[in-house]
Amino acid sequence: MRAVLVALLVLVAALVLEWAPLLPASLALLAGVYAAQLYVDDATLDGAAPLFAAGLFVTAEFGYWSLEERERVEAAPGEGLRRLAIVAVLGLVALVVAASLLALADIVRTRGLAVDVLGAAAAAAALSAIVVLAGRRV
Amino acid sequence: MSRRASPRVAGYAALTAIGLVAALALRRPELAVVVAPFALVLAVGLRNARDPMVEVELTLDSDRVLEGSEVDAEITVRAATGVDRLELLLDLPPGMEVADGDDAAALRLHGDEERPISLRLRPVRWGLYDVGEVEVRARDVLRLVVWERRFRDSTRLKAYPREEAVRRILAPVETQAFTGSEVARTKGDGIEYADIRDYVPGDRLRSINWRASARKDDLVVNERHPERNTDVVLFVDSFADVRRGDRSTLDDAVRAAATLATRYLDRRDRVGLVAFGGILRWLQPGMGVTQRFRLIETVLETGVEPTYTWRDVNRIPPRILPTKALVLALTPLVDPRYVAALEDLRARGFDLVVVEVDPVGLVEPGRDETEALAYRLWLLERDVLRSRLQGLGIAVARWGEDVSLEEALEGVRTYRRYARLARV
Repeated sequence: MRAVLVALLVLVAALVLEWAPLLPASLALLAGVYAAQLYVDDATLDGAAPLFAAGLFVTAEFGYWSLEERERVEAAPGEGLRRLAIVAVLGLVALVVAASLLALADIVRTRGLAVDVLGAAAAAAALSAIVVLAGRRV
Repeated sequence: MSRRASPRVAGYAALTAIGLVAALALRRPELAVVVAPFALVLAVGLRNARDPMVEVELTLDSDRVLEGSEVDAEITVRAATGVDRLELLLDLPPGMEVADGDDAAALRLHGDEERPISLRLRPVRWGLYDVGEVEVRARDVLRLVVWERRFRDSTRLKAYPREEAVRRILAPVETQAFTGSEVARTKGDGIEYADIRDYVPGDRLRSINWRASARKDDLVVNERHPERNTDVVLFVDSFADVRRGDRSTLDDAVRAAATLATRYLDRRDRVGLVAFGGILRWLQPGMGVTQRFRLIETVLETGVEPTYTWRDVNRIPPRILPTKALVLALTPLVDPRYVAALEDLRARGFDLVVVEVDPVGLVEPGRDETEALAYRLWLLERDVLRSRLQGLGIAVARWGEDVSLEEALEGVRTYRRYARLARV
């Protein structure tokens, strides 16, 4: 519970101080609390994970949106509502994607070194792809 | 346009990395599921982000405007591909302000769409302004990538100085050869009556003064003063500028120069300009509308360029200061180099008038005793300087907050009525 409070405090600090790096730190803290809970419970797959994923994603979007609105240029009329709709759609997509992945993980219940190596390779590939796309000059 | 990642990219990438590593370490697929939306948004958003190829153009309704008045401006924005949020910031130079509209705007553009943004600009001070700098920032729909570019159009606005109210201007002591509005001291063909003299063969019959001839019993003719033009050189001090808030001695001097130039040119006089300071600028005396615009545009470039080198009037080409010209000096009388130049001009026999743009109201007397004493000494030094110039036969008119330019010139006129130019 304390960790959740600390995460919320960091989130508030990020918004008040307008310091963007604190925002993912607060979300990582929240995710850490969730991970600790999963580790301690040691239950089967948590069905609430998609909801948590969507919630975390929407929180991040709102946080960054709030920081962007501090800039000098005022939003065009109607932009706020449109942005809200986009965040809502992204939240729904996040929910669907997370639920699909969880369902897939539920179906493929395989364990072992090969799966671990495959998972590590997939994670590395995903991160490399993000780095390559972020550095693209198009 | 330069491309950079928004803070979202670093944040989402960090969360994705942490989530995936934690999922592998703890063997909990839920953690990979939690960060999957972040990874998906990053992958899709960065894959689809394209340079919107924004083009911006700024046009002004007029390239010349009077200081303090407004000019219509239009920023036209075009984008080759759609932009979810396009931020525009018009970077105005000091001295320009937005009178109506907003210099910062956000809009959404579709592909190949062109959008005009209208606003009104106002130069608060005379001068030359480059108003074409527009900073553009475009963001994609997922707000992952930011494209930035600064557009530098060469849109130049000339803000002419507003004129001071002056009805009567100073008449030079001597006139030139061309026809003008000033009654010359010499005798010749003109309208103003000068004297009578005996008739000599060759005199025109219409000049005979029949009444005087009847009284004298001999033919007598009228003599008249011709109307001639004059040469006036505006000698602006650009060594120093005493500024406080919106008021500045250089600004006032330039306004006075523009006003006087217009008035003299209206009388068909030839007007020249010397901006004497760190950078020496001059304009040869001339007449007419073209000369008026040349003068004002030269005066607009006048600014204080700091220099420690000694400058004297030998640097001014002789044709800029014609003989018999009235030299009207506009100065706050704070730089000794300019004062030396005035003394030099007077020594060379120029008909010289100093309009002192009074800086006293712009200088704070100081808070402590030493500062107050220094201020009093400075005032006394100014009085001494004024007396010294007057002792040399230079008319000094003080123009400040409590004295209008008209009143200052009237004071000079009175002084010159009793003082006579002497050449030794």
